[in-house]
Amino acid sequence: MTTAQPHAELDPRFAPPFPQAALTVLRNPQLRRNVAHAVDIIQAKRGRLVAEKDDWQQLRSAASAIRSHVLESLGAYLEEFEVRCTAAGGIVHWATDGEEARRIILDILRQEQASEVIKIKTMTSAEIQLNPFLESNGVRVHETDLAEIILQLGEEPPSHIVVPALHVNRSQVREIFARKMGLPELSDDPQILTAAARRYLREKFLTIPTAIGGANYLIAETGSVAVVESEGNGRMCLTLPRTLITLAGIEKVLPRFDDLEVFLQLLARSATGERMNPYTSLWTGTVKGDGPERFHVVLLDNGRSRILRRPVERQTLKCIRCAACMNSCPVYRQTGGHAYGSVYPGPIGAILTPQLQQLQHAQSLPFASSLCGACYEVCPVKINIPEVLLELRSQVTRQERSQARRFFDPLYLGLRLANFLFASPRRFHLAQRLGRIGARLFTRKDGWIHSLPSVGGKWTLTRDLRGLPDETFHEWWANRKKEAR
Amino acid sequence: MTVSSSSREAILAAIRMGTATTAKEAGWLHEAYQGLPRTYHHAGSLESEACLSLLVERLREYGAEIAETTPQALPDAIAAQLASTGKRRFAAPAALSSDWLAPGFEWHVDNDLPTDEIEHCEGVLTGAAAAIADSGTIVLHHGPQEGRRLLTLLPDIHVCVLLASQVVETLPEYFRQCIAPPELVTWISGPSATADIEMTRIKGVHGPRSLHVILVHDN
Repeated sequence: MTTAQPHAELDPRFAPPFPQAALTVLRNPQLRRNVAHAVDIIQAKRGRLVAEKDDWQQLRSAASAIRSHVLESLGAYLEEFEVRCTAAGGIVHWATDGEEARRIILDILRQEQASEVIKIKTMTSAEIQLNPFLESNGVRVHETDLAEIILQLGEEPPSHIVVPALHVNRSQVREIFARKMGLPELSDDPQILTAAARRYLREKFLTIPTAIGGANYLIAETGSVAVVESEGNGRMCLTLPRTLITLAGIEKVLPRFDDLEVFLQLLARSATGERMNPYTSLWTGTVKGDGPERFHVVLLDNGRSRILRRPVERQTLKCIRCAACMNSCPVYRQTGGHAYGSVYPGPIGAILTPQLQQLQHAQSLPFASSLCGACYEVCPVKINIPEVLLELRSQVTRQERSQARRFFDPLYLGLRLANFLFASPRRFHLAQRLGRIGARLFTRKDGWIHSLPSVGGKWTLTRDLRGLPDETFHEWWANRKKEAR
Repeated sequence: MTVSSSSREAILAAIRMGTATTAKEAGWLHEAYQGLPRTYHHAGSLESEACLSLLVERLREYGAEIAETTPQALPDAIAAQLASTGKRRFAAPAALSSDWLAPGFEWHVDNDLPTDEIEHCEGVLTGAAAAIADSGTIVLHHGPQEGRRLLTLLPDIHVCVLLASQVVETLPEYFRQCIAPPELVTWISGPSATADIEMTRIKGVHGPRSLHVILVHDN
């Protein structure tokens, strides 16, 4: 029933470059309607609820400062978390990369003799492709978040980090549920579809004794973990099983319990446009008589400590995964999430994915933005995404330019030529005169260039170019003086 | 369970390398933390009556049922609220006051109830640890009056008795009044919900599908 194959289109190592992947989506009007419908609704709700909060900017400043402070002292806070969590009965594991995290989790499951697990939605597990790994090792994985069930049963990749199935509409959900749950008479009413998911999962919650989840926050002061959710599937997975495994990125830590007063005010408003999400759970290790008897936390690095080293890019790790940046992004609104070739789409994905890949893959993503700055404006922890995008663009360009095979690349050839011409006024003026003659060949009667040959065609494919004027500013200035005499 | 210490050391070393210019001694950490800007609203501005009306308004927006009562009339209010659900089988935490357990209902008091029996209950009656008016949030710390987590999760109806003196206006006020960080917390803002299908909000996925709040004016 479930696929053991990873979604290759969301594996940055194999995904096609953004412009190529985006074309497929741009030619799918149904998908574009689904995505635009969803993000427009969230954006409108978010806008209303942020407007009613007259200390919103102060909350953002506090959140940004707390997150920066944590990153500056990440080692100390992680060690504090480890000590407290262990004292409370938890077992803390450290994984340098996805492979190690998968191995640790499988070892725990083997020890528990678990052939099935229930799972709370966690993007970190998608990052390390945990489900296909577990399935190929004989462990059945049951996603329990409604959107994740839709994706798992429909064998669809996620396209958003908060509402992962927002690209699927109700009739598509009906079709998937009818087929996979054996309910041919199902209607496409979201109420009925949700009830079907409730029935489908109830018995699994009550019988499967092992759960895997993520963490929204790790609290250093107490060793507690907090999970923010809506449906109650999280509470089920956190409470009913005998063994709970939490997979968390090392950057998820907050210094104190009280710091939640900032983040719980920002997260739901930013993510789903609610004053507060229906359920937030916090637990500390294992608690006698309440919840799992065994609790494991797997702290995942997977490239994060490398990002810490770079002063501009470090802010990427402040992210609390609210997805406000993708909801506000004009590019994401058109392309949806799949085109980003990563489980982290949108503006945050465009900066996070290439860094997690050490710029060996996903080099097209920093360019998948118009740099309009909407993402920065809505970010509850003030990540200056355009600034990081520009930094990554310059790194990608530097990397490409130094490759021998790019020496005759028309783009770099052109840039070297421009560099040469712009270095001297004489050369520049000469180039202007020659350019004017050359451009005349392509300028239509309306004064616009509608298509250029060769590399220039890439530009004119989607835009027109104004023809060069008969006189440059310098020429006009010089002539004006002559006339005045 | 073997916990690999080499990965731990490798990750912490990599973090230290990355933060060499910023991480300082433990004393510095505390000072830097204290110095973080926190200029957002800490206290609310509403009178207590207005604060309670705000809570009621927020809870209604989430689709919760609200009843208001006095300490003297509480047992009757509980009985009326339970009757309004049309259900009979209710669970209750062990430390709940016996006059809350209205006659005429089948009570399953949690002296280590098996999961099946909790699942079999149609509703649950509990107290609360606090409530936050601004976001319409009921807070459970899962103490003796609130029951363990499972108790307020499996039954389909949650009837929660909340004292007016437990209500604060803002989230920071709630955190100020916690003497020590609790081991377990569930912040509940309306009944379980999802908007995963076309952003249509559907009430009641896996948690209780109805939330009833009995607000007791105790001051």
